[in-house]
Amino acid sequence: MPMSAPQGNTEKSSHIKFLIWGIVVAAIVAVFLPAPLFASNLSFLFYMMLWITMATSFNFVAGLAGYMPFGYVAFYGIGAYATGVLYKTFGLPIPVALAGAALAGVTIGLLVAPTLRLKGVYFGIVSLALAMAMKLVISLMPSDITGGSLGLILSAANDPVAAYYAMFVVLMGALAAGTWLTMSRLGTALRAIRDDSEAAEVVGVNVVGTRLKAWIMATMFPALVGGVEAWYTNAIDLDSSFNLLVTAKSIVYAMAGGLGFLVGPIIGASTLYGIDQLIWRHFPTLNLLILGVVIIALMLLLPRGIVGAFAQRFSRFRRFIP
Amino acid sequence: MLKVDKLVKKFGGMTALDGVSLTLPDRSILGVLGMNGSGKTTMLNCINGLYDATAGEITLDGVSLIGKAPHAVFSEGVGRTFQVPRIFPQMSLLENLSVALLNKGMSNAEIAEISAYWLQKVELYRLRHNYAEELSGGQQKLLELARIMVANPKLVLLDEPFAGVNPSLALLLINIIREMPKELGCSVLLVSHDLTSVYELSDNILVMHEGRVLAEGDAEAIQKNPDVIEAYLGA
Repeated sequence: MPMSAPQGNTEKSSHIKFLIWGIVVAAIVAVFLPAPLFASNLSFLFYMMLWITMATSFNFVAGLAGYMPFGYVAFYGIGAYATGVLYKTFGLPIPVALAGAALAGVTIGLLVAPTLRLKGVYFGIVSLALAMAMKLVISLMPSDITGGSLGLILSAANDPVAAYYAMFVVLMGALAAGTWLTMSRLGTALRAIRDDSEAAEVVGVNVVGTRLKAWIMATMFPALVGGVEAWYTNAIDLDSSFNLLVTAKSIVYAMAGGLGFLVGPIIGASTLYGIDQLIWRHFPTLNLLILGVVIIALMLLLPRGIVGAFAQRFSRFRRFIP
Repeated sequence: MLKVDKLVKKFGGMTALDGVSLTLPDRSILGVLGMNGSGKTTMLNCINGLYDATAGEITLDGVSLIGKAPHAVFSEGVGRTFQVPRIFPQMSLLENLSVALLNKGMSNAEIAEISAYWLQKVELYRLRHNYAEELSGGQQKLLELARIMVANPKLVLLDEPFAGVNPSLALLLINIIREMPKELGCSVLLVSHDLTSVYELSDNILVMHEGRVLAEGDAEAIQKNPDVIEAYLGA
C-alpha cells in the first residue's frame, strides 16, 4: 500500500494538544490549590470548582455521548443525601460517606442504564423523571434517617478548608476522567456515537458498552460534588439538593464553553459563574434576569460555545484544542 | 462468499423481503437494481445487522450473520455505506476514518497511516483536519466509502453510491469500486439506480421487485429479460 508519512504530523498535533491541556490543568492547580492560604472569599473559589466539575462531568454524557439528561441533578441530590445519611445517621466518617455517595450515584446510574437505549428528548424526560422520583423517595423515607422536611445538619463535620480540598480532589478526578474519556480511543468512539450512533455501530463501535462507560463517569462525579457541597455547607434539604437549577447551570456552563471539548466546560463555567457573581454583587434583585439575557446572547451568537466557535473559525488550530 | 438464503423481513403486516436468495462469490461485484420500495435497502439492513431478519439465513464465509449486532457484523468484515451519507459531522476527516479502526488492534501510527492513505485515494487528504460537515454531499460519500475501506472489509455494501454525486466525483467512485474485487480483495453488493454504472461494474446483476428476486444474470441478459423490461426498465 503506497503511503505518505502523515503520522508524524498527527503525533505532533496530539503532543501539542496534550501540552496545552497540561498547561490548563497546571493553571487550575496553581489557582485553586494554594487559595485557602490567601483567598478572602474561599466560597467563590469553592463554587467555581463545583461548577467546573459539574459542567465537566455533564460534558461526558452530553458532549461526548450525545445525551441531554435534564434530570442530572438527581445524582447531585443522591450524593448529598447519601453523604448526610451515612455521616449523620450511621456515624461513618466523612471520607467513607463520600465514597458511599459516589457508589450510590453509580448504582442509581446503573439501575437506569437500560434507558440509555432511548434517544434525544426521551432520555432527557426519563432522567427528569428520575430526579423527581428520587426526591419523592427520599421525602417518603423515615425522617429519623433523612431528617424529613427539615433535612440534615452536619455541623459536627464543619471544616470548610477540608471540604474545599475535597472539592479540589473531585475536580482533579473529573479532569483526569475527562482526559481519559476524550483523549483515548474511547473518546473517539463516544464522539462518533454523539454524531450518529447508528453509523458508529455500523463501523464497529459497541454503542451500548461505550455509552455505559461514559454514563458511569457522568453519574459518579455529580454524586461526589453533592456530597462535598453538603459537607461544605453543613446542610442538606430536598429543595436545594434536587433543585433543577443545578441541572440548568451544568447544561448552560458546559454549552457556553463548548460541548465535546475538555477545556469547554472549564472556560464556560469559570466565565459564566464569574459573570453570575459579578451581577449578583451589583444587581442582586436583577441577577437571574441579567444572567438569562447574557446566556441567551451567548447561545445566539456562539451556539457551539466559546471554544466551539474558536474551533470553527480557526479550523487549522482545531486539532490542537483539548 | 456471501450467501443469502430465503431471507424474509416483515414490518407488522407488510412484507418487505419475501424469500430473497443470492450468492456473491469472493472478489466479485453483484449489482442490485429495483424500483423504490423493492426491498434493496432493507436487504442491506438485514445483512449488516441493522434489521433483524424475520426468517432466512445470511452467511459470510460460512459464518452466520443472523442475530449479530451491526458492530459484530462489521467485525466479521462487512462494511456498508448509506444512501444519504452518514459521516460523523463534528469530527475531522482523519477522526472519521479512525473510528472504523478503533477495535482493530492497531497502533495510533498505523491508524494515521492507513487513514491518510485512504484520504489521499479519495482526494480528500488536504481537508483531513476539517470537520466532515464542511464537505459537499459528494465528498461525504467518498469519505463514507473511505471509512469502511480503511478496515479492509471482505464485503462492501454500497447503497446508491452515485446519488447526488457530480460526474468527476462519480468517476472517482467508479474507479475505486472497480478496484475493489481485484486489487483490494473484497466483494461488493452494489445497490444503485444508475444503470450505466451497474452494467459497467457488475459481474452479475440481480433485479428486485416487491421484495422478491425478479431476475438474475449478466448485464446483457438483464437488459433483454422481458420481466425486467416490463417491471423496471420500460420499453
